[in-house]
Amino acid sequence: MPLASAVRLEATGCVTPLGNAPSTHAALLRNEVALRPAPVLGADGGEPVPMALVAGRSFDETAPPNWLPPLQSLQAELAGEGWGTARRPVFVTSSNFGVGSLYAYRRHGDAAHLAYGTPSTCVDWLAGQLGWGANVTTLSHACVSAHLGLLLATRVLQAGFADRALVFSFDFISPFVAGGFHALKILNSGFPSPYAERASGSIGLGDGAAYAVLSVDRGDFVLEAQSLYNEMHHFTSNRADGAGFAACLAPLSAAARGRRLWLKGHGTGTLEAGRLESTALCTAFPDTPLVGWKGSLGHTLGSCGLVELALACEAMRQGRAPGTVGGASPSFQANVALDPLSLEQTDGVVCASNAFGGAHAAFLLAHA
Amino acid sequence: MPDPLNTRLKHLIVTTLKLEDVTPAELADDEPLIGSGLNLDSIDALELVVTLEKEFGIKIGSSEESRQALASIAHLAEFIRARADPARLPA
Repeated sequence: MPLASAVRLEATGCVTPLGNAPSTHAALLRNEVALRPAPVLGADGGEPVPMALVAGRSFDETAPPNWLPPLQSLQAELAGEGWGTARRPVFVTSSNFGVGSLYAYRRHGDAAHLAYGTPSTCVDWLAGQLGWGANVTTLSHACVSAHLGLLLATRVLQAGFADRALVFSFDFISPFVAGGFHALKILNSGFPSPYAERASGSIGLGDGAAYAVLSVDRGDFVLEAQSLYNEMHHFTSNRADGAGFAACLAPLSAAARGRRLWLKGHGTGTLEAGRLESTALCTAFPDTPLVGWKGSLGHTLGSCGLVELALACEAMRQGRAPGTVGGASPSFQANVALDPLSLEQTDGVVCASNAFGGAHAAFLLAHA
Repeated sequence: MPDPLNTRLKHLIVTTLKLEDVTPAELADDEPLIGSGLNLDSIDALELVVTLEKEFGIKIGSSEESRQALASIAHLAEFIRARADPARLPA
């Protein structure tokens, strides 16, 4: 997909198991790990696997969903009103929406869960709860969902169809979602160690939600370039030669020429994808430090691109980026940074996410 | 005489994955299962691992362990023998 041209970020924010963006950024700088072992199927038990929940939320589904309060807190941070009206569209992205509710209905037979179980019913309900109008677009493309929302919002703004656009993303884990990753054996009893060269890989799963307000000309940060690429290779795996990762990064590499960058990778903790991703990033951006934060926060799935965008903005405001929390030596690549980075000598970051189906996404973020 | 566990595994592979163009007898003990040979993918592996865990009461801990176990039918049999209750193995 061709690069989109620049658009500003007027505001960003997120909620993670470590709090809002400033709290999460500070905790990551202290190398805090939010993941804790918990039974993969919640009240139904199962193997303890690393998971991280937003404070006060239970893992098992409730009706209405117990993830509404953190989303309401996030919404309260948003400046201005009128989201979802003609000139202020909302792009809601998630990989799961309320899919866990379908599993809850199957287990318990409570029809109240059905109101949240599909993307459309879930977002309709959420829009009502958060006071949005009808101009709400729902998008889902696995773990690059948030990037897709950013790109479409950018295009709407550049076409002159909106004054500002809200990209809003959320994924709250549930027994259904955790059970799926556990069946694939990529969620297991091990804790994630992104980009570490070791015998067995593992991801963790985490709650995450975030927003970004995009505008053509307002804001301290700018999305200089965005790239999406889909290998169309397989349901779960990538091409073994890493060509899909490289194809996504190539246009960003050109756009970033002359900049002094740092890299925020996807880095879930799986071995094959971690090796391919870090190799592609370090080939496209040699001698550039690479960090990933899912070793603490877990994989926040479709929302990860937006959660990590908010954290990258916070890092650039503070001048320090958290290192690869949970990482270990040896890493797949020498430029994987385990310790926090000073950003004084940098002027931009490339943030990348990757998804099932060989979907790859990345953007170049800089100070405006 | 064929190894009864290998024979059982070949039958499970064909039936679990609904293979239509191969019979259990046509599968060789050293036939690669992933990447070449039968060329199973990760979704096939998921289905097969779930079946094997139920059938033999074993646990496969990670995707890497799964990939190693599924290297071939002979590897798989060796993996299961090392972990399963002998009472659950075919006589």
